[in-house]
Amino acid sequence: MIQKKVCMVGTFAVGKTSLVRRFVESIYSDKYHTTVGVKIDKKVVQLNGNELTLVLWDIEGSQTANDLRKSYLRGAAGYLLVIDGTRQETLSEALELHRRVTETIGVVPFLLLMNKADLTSEWSISEGETSNLRNRGWEVMKTSAKTGFGVEDAFRLLAEKLAEA
Amino acid sequence: MPMSDTKGISDYPKPDPASDDETVAELRSLLLGQAELQLAEVHERLFDPHRQLKEISNVLPDAIAVRSRQDDELTTALSPTVSAALERSVRKNPQPIVDAIFPIMGPAIRKAIATALGGMVQSFNQTLNYSMTTRGLRWRWEALKTGRPFAEVVLLHTLLYRVEQIFLIHKETGLLLRHVAAPNVAVQDTDMVSGMLTAIQDFVRDSFQTSRGDQLETLQVGDLTVWIEQGPEAILAAVIRGNAPQELRPVLQDVLERIHLQFGTALTEFTGDAAPFVATEPLLEEGLQSSYDTAQHVRKSSGKINPFTVTAAIVLLGLLVWGFFWVRDRQRWNSYIEKLRNEPGFVITDSGKQDGKYFVSGLRDPLSRDPTALLQGTGVDANSVVANWQSFQALSPQFVLARAQKNLEPPAGVKLTFSEGTLEAEGFASHNWIVEARRTARLLPGIYRLRDDKLFDLERIEDPLLLFDLDQVTLQSGQEDQLNRLVDDLNHLRQLAGDRPVRLEITGHTDGSGTEMRNDTLSQGRADTVAATLRPRLTSWSNLTIIPLGTKEKLRMEMNDSDRATNRSVKMKVIVDDNH
Repeated sequence: MIQKKVCMVGTFAVGKTSLVRRFVESIYSDKYHTTVGVKIDKKVVQLNGNELTLVLWDIEGSQTANDLRKSYLRGAAGYLLVIDGTRQETLSEALELHRRVTETIGVVPFLLLMNKADLTSEWSISEGETSNLRNRGWEVMKTSAKTGFGVEDAFRLLAEKLAEA
Repeated sequence: MPMSDTKGISDYPKPDPASDDETVAELRSLLLGQAELQLAEVHERLFDPHRQLKEISNVLPDAIAVRSRQDDELTTALSPTVSAALERSVRKNPQPIVDAIFPIMGPAIRKAIATALGGMVQSFNQTLNYSMTTRGLRWRWEALKTGRPFAEVVLLHTLLYRVEQIFLIHKETGLLLRHVAAPNVAVQDTDMVSGMLTAIQDFVRDSFQTSRGDQLETLQVGDLTVWIEQGPEAILAAVIRGNAPQELRPVLQDVLERIHLQFGTALTEFTGDAAPFVATEPLLEEGLQSSYDTAQHVRKSSGKINPFTVTAAIVLLGLLVWGFFWVRDRQRWNSYIEKLRNEPGFVITDSGKQDGKYFVSGLRDPLSRDPTALLQGTGVDANSVVANWQSFQALSPQFVLARAQKNLEPPAGVKLTFSEGTLEAEGFASHNWIVEARRTARLLPGIYRLRDDKLFDLERIEDPLLLFDLDQVTLQSGQEDQLNRLVDDLNHLRQLAGDRPVRLEITGHTDGSGTEMRNDTLSQGRADTVAATLRPRLTSWSNLTIIPLGTKEKLRMEMNDSDRATNRSVKMKVIVDDNH
């Protein structure tokens, strides 16, 4: 059985925790975020008949990229970069976070998840921005922790990328 | 002719040796050409030491790498040389080595000393704990009580820790490589726990600015301890319930070191596949079992029992046992003496213990119970008692009565009672007994009066004679009153006798005149007459016996007519069946 360490990275209140809450196995309460600053969860993905275990390090949402605890990133095989699709500023923060992560652990597979996809009326990320990112080679997905839209697919896609890497 | 031969040969032009060599060289160059140059270079490579050095230096690092992967022959071969070189280097100039290892030696020595001190203090504490404390004595008592060896009892009480789980965690990723747990231990999702343990270490290191190399070593919550051992590639986290002794640390360190030694490559190349680490399980389980090994150590150290303690414990135990028996015997003796005091007919004047034997002295009424028999059930051994009794006559009512019974020997129909100096006799008795009793009773101590007004004197029945005329079987006239009195007395007696079987014997007598045969018939007839007269009036009497005696057993010697008249009679006798 293969295991991979995966980090959930994103600024404050983008819905990282909500995103994993319904889709992963967890034994720790959300309180760990405010105490230790990270919460470990687990997601088992079926991949071509094999199981891949993603050990998810759900890192506390920081105000700025500088607050990101680098030591929690150490050894990560990949990461999910999460933004709030209704808050334009979270995208730029994510770009900064991405830079920090790459700086710390090098280039590893990752996905950009634009969360809160159910709030279409408040959506503030333009198609242009999305395709710009895709042109840079980024994998961009819309997800909704509320409806569950895209979440399983996101985990699966990341798992596939990790298996290829 | 040899001359001519020589001459013949000398006709050909003589070959020049120098030009021959040149020719061969030329030929060789033509035939071999380029190859000769290469041959020359090979020659140079083979035999030029400078060239050789250069060549080997090019391949040496790769060659070492290849061979190292293949087997460890190279290591074996190099070991003595490296050791020797190191030794020589140190001897020559130790400073570079000192400089190199100083940064790692300091912390290593500190750690080793801390661990050793920790272990020493703990075993010192244990030894102290087990030798002189009440707990130690209590355990000895428990061992004595249960019949278990003392060491086992100590083990039971000191083996209060258990390594419940061991996590082997990849240091870089925090991913779980292998996990083992003791039987019956509730285990949470080990993948997540492994990650969290790593996260907490990171958290502590980041939050408190620890110096590089220092790591979180212990987490403690209540009686649960998590010990974390750090290796270069992997971390060993042992979850221990209870008080783990410091000796356990080196055991865990050793396990981790051996894992690094055996699985070094797998650890370095780990990318998420934990399969190769299944093989670490036996090593990790050693960590689980080491709790037991350490316990044996405890047993060994606690086995060094202070001789003073043992002596003190034995003496104390002896005292306890002796005290127990002393108190018990004392209590038994006291209860026996108390029993004697309460027993009628005994007056205790002195009691106690002398020369290992109990003694009791005092007064004893001979009519009282046997004091040896009174020992029954008290637990006091009769052989350990010396008794000295003086006889006396107790004046308590029951003894006065008992003495009266013994001295007066009342017949079956008599019941004696005693109250306030008066002995009372009820029932019926022969006249002789009544007379004797009246005389004797007054001589008995404690008796001031004999009341016998409820005592029926059998004389009233047995004295009077019913008279007959000469050669007659009918009663002389004028005896009706006497007959009436007799009937009344007999019925009264019958009532007094109650259930007691009493029998009336009616004996017929005659005077000496007449033949013996005639007299027998006559006495029979006379007794029959009386029986026939009485029977209808004595309905409560079932038993009337008729005995015709004739002239046998004459009532009187016949000196005159009066004597003869007396002998022509019927006499009564009351027989009481004593066997009742």
